[in-house]
Amino acid sequence: MTTTATRPASRSSDRPRGGRSRWAATARALPWLGPTLLLVAGVVFFPAGYMAWTSFRDLSQFGIDNGPAGLDNYARLLEFTALPRVLLNTVVWVVGVVVVTVLLSLALAQFLDKAFPGRRFVRLTIIVPWAASVVMTTTVVYYGLDPFYGIINAFLVDVGLLDQPYGFTRNAVPAFLTAMGIAVFVSLPFTTYTLLAGLQTIPTDVREAAQMDGAGPWATYRRIILPLLRPALAVATIINIINVFNSLPILAVITGSIPGYNADTTTTLIFKFIRADRQIDTASALSIVNFLIVLAVILVYLKVVKPMRED
Amino acid sequence: MRRLVSLTAATVAAGLVLTACGFGGDDDDGGGGSASGGSTTLDLLVPQYSDGTTALWDEIIASFEEANPDITVNLEVQSWDNINDVIRTKVQAGEAPDILNIDAFSGFAKDDLLYPADDVVSEDTFGDFQESFVENATLDGTVYGLPMIASARALFYNEDVLAQAGITEPPATWDDLLAAGTAIAGLGTGVFGYGMPLGSEEAQAETSIWTFGGGGTWTDGDAITVDTPENLAAVEFMKQLIDAGATQPDPGATDRTPMLDVFIQGSIAMAVGLPPTIGQIEERNPALNYGIAPVPTQDGSPVTLGVADHLMAFRNDDDKQEAITAFLDHFFSTDVYLSFVDTEGFLPTTKSGAEGTANAERFADFLALLPDAQFYPSTNEAWAATQGALQSLVGQIQTQDAASVLQQIQASADNA
Repeated sequence: MTTTATRPASRSSDRPRGGRSRWAATARALPWLGPTLLLVAGVVFFPAGYMAWTSFRDLSQFGIDNGPAGLDNYARLLEFTALPRVLLNTVVWVVGVVVVTVLLSLALAQFLDKAFPGRRFVRLTIIVPWAASVVMTTTVVYYGLDPFYGIINAFLVDVGLLDQPYGFTRNAVPAFLTAMGIAVFVSLPFTTYTLLAGLQTIPTDVREAAQMDGAGPWATYRRIILPLLRPALAVATIINIINVFNSLPILAVITGSIPGYNADTTTTLIFKFIRADRQIDTASALSIVNFLIVLAVILVYLKVVKPMRED
Repeated sequence: MRRLVSLTAATVAAGLVLTACGFGGDDDDGGGGSASGGSTTLDLLVPQYSDGTTALWDEIIASFEEANPDITVNLEVQSWDNINDVIRTKVQAGEAPDILNIDAFSGFAKDDLLYPADDVVSEDTFGDFQESFVENATLDGTVYGLPMIASARALFYNEDVLAQAGITEPPATWDDLLAAGTAIAGLGTGVFGYGMPLGSEEAQAETSIWTFGGGGTWTDGDAITVDTPENLAAVEFMKQLIDAGATQPDPGATDRTPMLDVFIQGSIAMAVGLPPTIGQIEERNPALNYGIAPVPTQDGSPVTLGVADHLMAFRNDDDKQEAITAFLDHFFSTDVYLSFVDTEGFLPTTKSGAEGTANAERFADFLALLPDAQFYPSTNEAWAATQGALQSLVGQIQTQDAASVLQQIQASADNA
């Protein structure tokens, strides 16, 4: 529902520039662009617009439209007492997962860029979390951490780290941290490979030139490699922000049975509004807020970090 | 490359347009078909009670279609996790099934989507339902739901562990339960006293067992009443059990199904279970030495939580009413009905079924409790949201005080 809405619309920078010829060119291109535009309108703009519309309607719990609601749905959101905690969780979730993922991926990509025996095998291994279903990976960890029959809990007790099994998935903060760990794990493959691709576009003569000029490995990395990696880093970060922000399955599996809202992000809260509180209209309002937040975050990121700057 | 992309896009777009046309065509099929005396198609949406549910329905539909060659039944089986989302989406899209099997009917009745029950079954079938269930299926004086299967709760206890703790009789009152739970925890064998599942799966059932047992209810007949002195006393008792260490750790986030497995394995001494729990024990740990007793209540008088699931008929096309009636009468005919109820391991809701059920002896403990069954106020339209709030909030009593948790749930109920 929300994922389609937050997909960035295709840019139109490849259109020819300038005056009348530009309009003529656009008109000529229209029959060819038409199907694509229709598709984008059908799967992106229509659902997003419909969601915005429902956020201003009063819907019964089965979706019957009972007329306009004005800003009532948004007002109900503001009155929701757990909202500050949920927003804080969302910030911790997105910033934590994305920062840790990117840092780990930078290290991994650097490592995989070097030639060493068995590199092909290690590269394949790193893809595994990507190939496995997220729900499956999460469920494996969830059962492993179960206090009654989880093998991870049993192991921690056997080696003496714990006196008795601990409910990692039964308390808000440890469960939330566990979910963040899994989110990093499943985000690593994509990020690492994006950065690895970026590293391989950096010509060796640049690095050699830096060495000739007497730059040490750390200086070379900070002054030469990292700036050249900027476009790849930008893609990896933005896509991760969107993915992590909208991620539902990991939290749904790990923190789904935890009472209260201490382990919720705005995305999981949308589902609680629908499934537990039966408030489709409030959920739509929160989806719109969610959409605006992710848009704002990306704008700020683009403005402050200027990842696309070429210098 | 670019050409390939636009080609793909064009194909997909063409596909979209074609599918859109397909939607329009659908309606004509349903309406026109039966008017011209041809075949009628009934859409049937049911939840999955067990691994055998689909096969069971296939059998019932096959025997029905044999007797009524002009009616075709389309079966759709959904998991309990999904069925509420599926039906909501279908209703929103104007594609409600003709017959639905689910727990609560009142929301659909309030939205004026259902046939009254006596319009879609024969008089004989209608008169066969047990009165308490009919009453529970009534909204504003009209019966909309057809009580289909029933379930009740009872206390399952591990006789070996209770004997080890020197307890000879299963607990009958709240005080007994607290004493028994603490005594078992004190054994130091790693076995927990009472298993309390307050996770989101079914926290409303566990809470209702204790509030009903203390004389509380969820409604004053009109509004949903969560924050009442009786309910507060019951929830405070639950908190007392947790604080005294008489329960398993972290009851607030424990779901029922996995927790019952722990009871079956023998690591929890007492838990509230359902009729199908008997079959699960037979299958998973037949060596378990267990007994069944009424759920402990404040003063020891028997009360149980009854749950009935319903069949209901949606008023999509008026010309389908006869076909629906034929199907529902077929389903509730004694042999067919008992084949369903007995195979799924539930309690029957019809008088003929109660006499004929093959499980009379096996479920004797539960059947005896049925007269004292209390139900969720599921005809109250705020109940669905209250149930959701109970599921997602009541577990907080593990860390917060009972009164403030009940106030939060009351607020959700008032908001609905």
